[in-house]
Amino acid sequence: MPIRTEETGARGEVRLRVWNLPLRLFHWGLAASFVTAWLTLDDRYRDIHVFAGYVMAGLLLFRLLWGVIGGPYARFRDFAFGWREARDYLKLVLQRCPPRFLGHNPAGSWAIYLLLGLGLLIAITGLLTLGGEERHGPLAGWLSFAQGEMAHNLHELLAWSMLGLVAVHIAGVVVESLLHRENLVAAMLTGRKPSKPGMVSARAGRPTGILMSVAIAAFGLSWFHGYLVETPERPYRPFSGIELPDQALWREECGACHLAFHPSLLPARSWRTMMAGQSSHFGEDLFLERDSADEIERFLLENAAEQALTEAAWKINRSIAATETPLRITETPYWVDKHKEIPGRVWEDPRVNGKVNCASCHLDADAGTFEDAAMRIPVDTGGALKGLWEAMTSRFRLDSSHAGIFNPKG
Amino acid sequence: MNTKPIGIAALLFALPFYAQADAVSELEAQYRAKGAGPFSAAAGEALWNKGFIDAKSGKERKCTLCHTTDLTRPGKHVRTGKVIEPMAPSVNPKRFTTVKKIKKWFVRNCKWTLGRECTAQEKGDVLAFLKNL
Ligand code: HEC
Ligand code: HEC
Ligand code: HEC
Repeated sequence: MPIRTEETGARGEVRLRVWNLPLRLFHWGLAASFVTAWLTLDDRYRDIHVFAGYVMAGLLLFRLLWGVIGGPYARFRDFAFGWREARDYLKLVLQRCPPRFLGHNPAGSWAIYLLLGLGLLIAITGLLTLGGEERHGPLAGWLSFAQGEMAHNLHELLAWSMLGLVAVHIAGVVVESLLHRENLVAAMLTGRKPSKPGMVSARAGRPTGILMSVAIAAFGLSWFHGYLVETPERPYRPFSGIELPDQALWREECGACHLAFHPSLLPARSWRTMMAGQSSHFGEDLFLERDSADEIERFLLENAAEQALTEAAWKINRSIAATETPLRITETPYWVDKHKEIPGRVWEDPRVNGKVNCASCHLDADAGTFEDAAMRIPVDTGGALKGLWEAMTSRFRLDSSHAGIFNPKG
Repeated sequence: MNTKPIGIAALLFALPFYAQADAVSELEAQYRAKGAGPFSAAAGEALWNKGFIDAKSGKERKCTLCHTTDLTRPGKHVRTGKVIEPMAPSVNPKRFTTVKKIKKWFVRNCKWTLGRECTAQEKGDVLAFLKNL
């Protein structure tokens, strides 16, 4: 077959197509989904994070297939370098005279295999986390909360490793671009590299590329279409949790002055103490008749945090020392930790009206499920980048010098 | 023409109002038995708008903090921010329909607002004010 895709370059060289369209889409799609996933660490953007994860997983699976049928330069066998070759190549880089490869060089190939492997492991641990901790996705309920949390920790470790590897990969691209005086980033955008005539060229792969784009766009539309049809009265909730046990009497009596806080949000000993002291309930006399109080207490105890009906229940219960009996959900260590990034002025804002008014931020507070991506702070808190910084650094910060959040309300 | 369904529908529609009259008059009878009365809507309105200083916090408390002054509109719990349905029976026919509920809330709200339980006279006055809104 004649090579039709050659273009004559400035110095009589030809500009050859090396990276076909599907490969370029894979590369930038993977980069975009990786960055998006990092930007959406906050629980509030969980649906976007999970979407980015699915796109990434899809792209990686596609890449495995493309590594077999993707033609020259994309095929794995075209860059199946051994570890020795990669090491020798790196030595030559140190001597500033690495040989030039039209396709992937040996060191770059190793970065690619590692990135593919890490990416797939991240996708798998992500699915396990989603199924174990959040009880969503194809693996919903396969794992316990504890196993889900283990997957979560592994998921984070792998994501940090991949971030490190991405940094190495970018450094490699910069070094090689400088040493060979050629713009490798531009090559990944246009697909073309200068070459001597006679080298084999990649096919354009346009139909496959268009199919990929359409598939991603269609998946995005089906994933996020809820936002397009939501109304202020019925805001869209990306994840809907299981239906929790309910009781009409409890809802009426305990939902009159404030949200009916679901029993799963405090351990049994807390409810027992609270009901025993119902005549001085945070400064109010509840004045419930004995039989009503007993019926409510039974419901509270049966569904208390120990039953681990939700992720929040499990984590709240675990966070409380066995010697403590908190009467406030808002004083449990898990709750405090989850809300420590929210600045004091947000709580004082009339649209929020204090910590107890869970429903001002949590769309599903009434149902008691407290799902991810169901919280919308009605006050501006400084955008996604600040959120990313907070999310990335929060585990390294030991102090919680956020005065104002812990002010008890009068 | 069969007028029975219309009659039943009318009865069902009117039921809440009867229930209200029932519950309030039952309570008024109980208050009278304790020596209170006659009840005055004007005195009830005055109590409704009166401020009481809380001994502990030194802050002023009154019924309108949660129920607001326009009783045909929803109120808002001053401590928790939760919306409270309107108090006026003309816009919220479910108001003052069960003796148990009214008693319970008188205890709660009087204790919090006045720092003590309301007297039978005070409760009768407030109901006289609220029931015709
Ligand atoms: C008469 C009004 C009233 C009723 C009825 C009521 N509460 Fe409360 N409750 C309050 C107030 C006021 C607070 C304190 C709010 C604050 O500090 O912001 C509170 C606080 C709470 C809290 C702590 C919230 C937190 O995490 O800070 C819990 C839990 C709670 N109530 C449970 C119940 C239960 C269970 C019932 C039913 C048996 C009930 N409440 C009925 C008025 C009430
Ligand atoms: C000012 C808004 C706001 C209020 C009010 C609020 N929350 Fe939250 N809550 C958030 C945000 C934002 C997050 C996510 C934090 C993060 O990304 O780590 C969150 C996270 C949570 C989580 C963890 C969810 C998960 O799966 O990770 C729970 C549980 C929770 N809140 C419970 C409550 C309860 C119970 C109340 C009321 C007593 C409450 N919140 C009041 C904003 C709020
Ligand atoms: C701290 C907030 C608060 C204050 C202050 C308050 N109330 Fe209430 N009141 C409530 C709530 C909440 C309800 C229950 C509303 C519902 O059922 O929709 C209620 C209900 C009532 C009811 C029962 C209504 C019915 O449908 O049976 C009466 C009567 C009442 N209040 C009278 C008063 C009076 C009189 C005062 C002042 C002495 C007062 N309230 C002050 C919060 C308050």
